[in-house]
Amino acid sequence: MRALTDRIRCPVLVIHGRGDAVRPHDSGAALAAMTGGTLVSLGGSGHNPQSRDPVKINLTLRGFIRPRRSPTSAWTRARARPRRALFISSPIGLGHAQRDVAIARELRSIHPDLEIDWLAQDPVTRVLEAEGERIHPASAELASESGHIESESAEHDLHCFQAWRRMDEILVSNFMVFHDLVEAEPYDLWIGDEAWELDYFLHENPELKCAAYCWLTDFVGWLPMPDGGEREAFLTADYNAEMVDHIARFPRLRDRAIFVGNPDDIVPNRLGPDLPLIREWTEQHFDFAGYVSGFDPARFADREALRAELGYGQHQRVCLISVGGSGVGEHLLRRLIDAHPLAAAQVPGLRTIVVAGPRIDPDSLPRHDGLEVVGYVHNLYRHLAACDLAVVQGGLTTAMELTANRRPFIYFLLGHHFEQNFHVRHRLERYRAGRCMDIGSSPPEAIACAIAEEIGREVDYRPVESDGARRASQRIAELL
Amino acid sequence: MTRARYPDATGHVERGGVRVFWERYGDGEPTVLFLPTWTFIHSRCWKAQIPYLARHCRVLAFDPRGNGRSDRPNDPRLYAEREFAADALAVMDATGTERAVLVSLSKGAQRALLLAANHPQRVTGAAFIAPFFPASPLGGMRWRIMAHPRLRPALFIRPPVAAGWMKFNGAHWRADYPDFVEWFTRRIFNVPHSTKQIEDAVQWGLETDPDTLIASVAGDLAAPPTRRDQLALAERVRCPVLVISSPHDKITSHADAKALAQAAGGRLVSIPEGGHCPQARKPVAVNLALREFVRAFSFHDGFAPASRHWHDRLRSSP
Repeated sequence: MRALTDRIRCPVLVIHGRGDAVRPHDSGAALAAMTGGTLVSLGGSGHNPQSRDPVKINLTLRGFIRPRRSPTSAWTRARARPRRALFISSPIGLGHAQRDVAIARELRSIHPDLEIDWLAQDPVTRVLEAEGERIHPASAELASESGHIESESAEHDLHCFQAWRRMDEILVSNFMVFHDLVEAEPYDLWIGDEAWELDYFLHENPELKCAAYCWLTDFVGWLPMPDGGEREAFLTADYNAEMVDHIARFPRLRDRAIFVGNPDDIVPNRLGPDLPLIREWTEQHFDFAGYVSGFDPARFADREALRAELGYGQHQRVCLISVGGSGVGEHLLRRLIDAHPLAAAQVPGLRTIVVAGPRIDPDSLPRHDGLEVVGYVHNLYRHLAACDLAVVQGGLTTAMELTANRRPFIYFLLGHHFEQNFHVRHRLERYRAGRCMDIGSSPPEAIACAIAEEIGREVDYRPVESDGARRASQRIAELL
Repeated sequence: MTRARYPDATGHVERGGVRVFWERYGDGEPTVLFLPTWTFIHSRCWKAQIPYLARHCRVLAFDPRGNGRSDRPNDPRLYAEREFAADALAVMDATGTERAVLVSLSKGAQRALLLAANHPQRVTGAAFIAPFFPASPLGGMRWRIMAHPRLRPALFIRPPVAAGWMKFNGAHWRADYPDFVEWFTRRIFNVPHSTKQIEDAVQWGLETDPDTLIASVAGDLAAPPTRRDQLALAERVRCPVLVISSPHDKITSHADAKALAQAAGGRLVSIPEGGHCPQARKPVAVNLALREFVRAFSFHDGFAPASRHWHDRLRSSP
C-alpha cells in the first residue's frame, strides 16, 4: 500500500464516518496520513455518508475543488450533537458576570446536557474561573474593553457614552474574533449580555447569524448628559434611532430580548425627539425577567451566622467599601479611605473593609487603624449581605445586591456616566434604596457624618424578586 | 484612547529627505500592505481592518507623505504617485518583505496600480476599495477634469461661492480649512448613523494643513487623467484583483470601480450603504471580503487551503 500511495502527487481529501461499520475509520485516517492529504471525520456517520449526509459531503467536496473555505476537520451529525451555547458577557464591570453565571446555572438545570462556552475577558474571566466555567481559548484574542474604559476615566468621572463610541475599533476587532469562532464551531445559541459588538454587527451583517440569539440588557437607550448640549443630545438620539431601525428591519435577529428588571425600572425619557418613549418601545420588544441577582437572599436570612463565618466580630460595625470591577473607582476609593478615621471617631467599633477589586492594586492604597484593604473578593455579595453599611459607586449590580439584602448604603454616581446618573438612579429611587451623594460636594468630613448616620439603619426598601435568573433562563431555554 | 491592537514594530524610511512612518503587525504569510490614501487622512483609516488581519497574517501600514507621523513637504513634485509607490517599496525593503498583497483606498489606487503594473514580482495581489480611477465615461469625468494638469491653476482661483464641489479649492482651503474638512468628510460618509466615522476623519484631516494638501493634489497621477491612459495602466496588472465599492459613493463613482475591475481582470464586490469609506462604515463586510481575497495567497505547494491555517490558529490559541 505504501508503495502505491507514495506515488500519489496530487492533493488528497479523505472523508470517513466515525461510525463506519464496513471500512474502519482508522483506515481512512491512515490513507490521509500516507498521502499527505486532509482528513475530514464525520461523527455519527456510517459508510456511504454521501447518501446519508449529502449536504455535508457536497460542501466538503466543493471546498476541496474550490477551496474558498476549509473542509472542517471534524463534523458530527446534527442529532448526535450535544446542545451548545456561547455566552458573551460584557467585561465592563463585574455585574454582568455574576448574573450570567446564575443564568447559566439555571439553564443547565433545564437542559442538563447543555455545554456552555464563554467568550470573555478580564475581569469577567475571574468570576468564570472561580466558578469553574469553560472559557473558550479564542477569548485570548479579545482586545481589552476594560482597559479602554479605564483609560477614558478621570477622577471619579467617566463619560461612558463617548468612551463607548471611542471603543469602536475594539468592538469591530472583538466581533471578528466572535465571527471566526462561530464560523469554525457550531453553537445552538448565542447569549449576549450587553455584548454591544455582537448585537450591533449582527444587525449590520444579518446574514452572519447562524444560531439562535438572545440579547440581555439592564437598560435601554443612550441618554445625553445635560452639559453635553445639543451635540450630545443629537448623538445619543442618532444611536438610538439606528437601534430602532435595526430592530424594525430585522425582527428575526434577536430570538429573545430580555430586560433585566421590570417595566417600572425604565426611565420616563424618550429615545430621542422624534422617537418612541423608552418604556413603550422596550415593552414592545423585550421580555421582562425581573432583577437577576447572582444569589438568593433567603440564603442569608441568618445574618449572625454569616457574619461569624466571614469573621465579623460581635461588637464590630462593619462598613464595606467597594467601587466595582473596573479600575475607574480609584479616586473615590481614596476619598473614602480618607473619611475612615473621621468616621471611626463617631462610630464606636467601626471596621472598614476596602475591596479594591480585580483591577486596582490593593498595596497601592493607604492604611489606617480599623481599616483593611483586600483585592478581588469572590462572591462579594456575601459581604454585602452581612455588612452594617456599604459605600459604593453607582453601578447597578452592587447597589441592587444591597437593596435585595436590605442593607443601608451610600452611593456615588460617576460623573458623566449616563447609565448611573439616569437609569440606575431611577431604579434605586423606585426601590427607595440607598443614599445618593456627590463626590464633588462631599469632603471626607461629610462622608464620615453620612457613614455615622446610615450605619446600622433600618430600611424600608421595596422587596427585590429573587427568581430573575430562573425566569430569564426559562425564556432562553425555549430556544434550545 | 486605546487601540484594539498595537504594532509589533514601527520605524521610518527616508527618501530624498522625506521621512515616512510605518508600522508592522503580526507575522506569518502572506504580508498585507495597507497603502495610504490621499494625504487628507492617514493610516488610522485602517483601524477596523488591521487588528483582524493581523491575527491571521503579517500586516504593514504607513502614513502618507503630508499626514500622520510622516513628514509634510510642500513641493508638489514630492507628492507624485511614483513617490508614494517608491515609499511603499522602501517600507517593504525596510521590513524585509519580498512580496505583499496590496490593499488601497480611494487615491491609494493610483500608487497600487503603479506597483502592481511595474513591480509584479513584489505584488501578489491587489485589493482596491472605492478606487480613484477616473476611467468611466461619465462617472470619472469630474476627476478627469479636476486632475488635469492644464486646469491645475484653477485650484488656486478663489471660487465665486464656496458651495459644494467649489470647496475643493486651494484658495478656499487657505481661507477656511475646517469647513472643507467637514464638508468633504460628510460626502465620504453619506449614509445615516456615521457620526463616529465622521469625527475620526475630521480629526485626521485637521492633522495636516492647507498648504500640504495643496501640494498633495498637485502631484502627478500614476498615468495621465485620461480614460485611455488610466485603462492602459490597469490592463498591465497581471495579479489577482479585488475591487470593493459602494453604489452611492459620492466621491469616486461606482462606475469607475467597475471599469477598474474590468480593465484589471478582477472581481467586483458591491457593498451597499458603505459610502466612500466602506472599510470604516461597513467594516465587517470589508474584512470578510479581504479575508477571502487574502486567503488565496497563503496556499502552500499550490494547495493546502489557507483557511486551515486560520482554523488551526483559533483552536491552538492558549
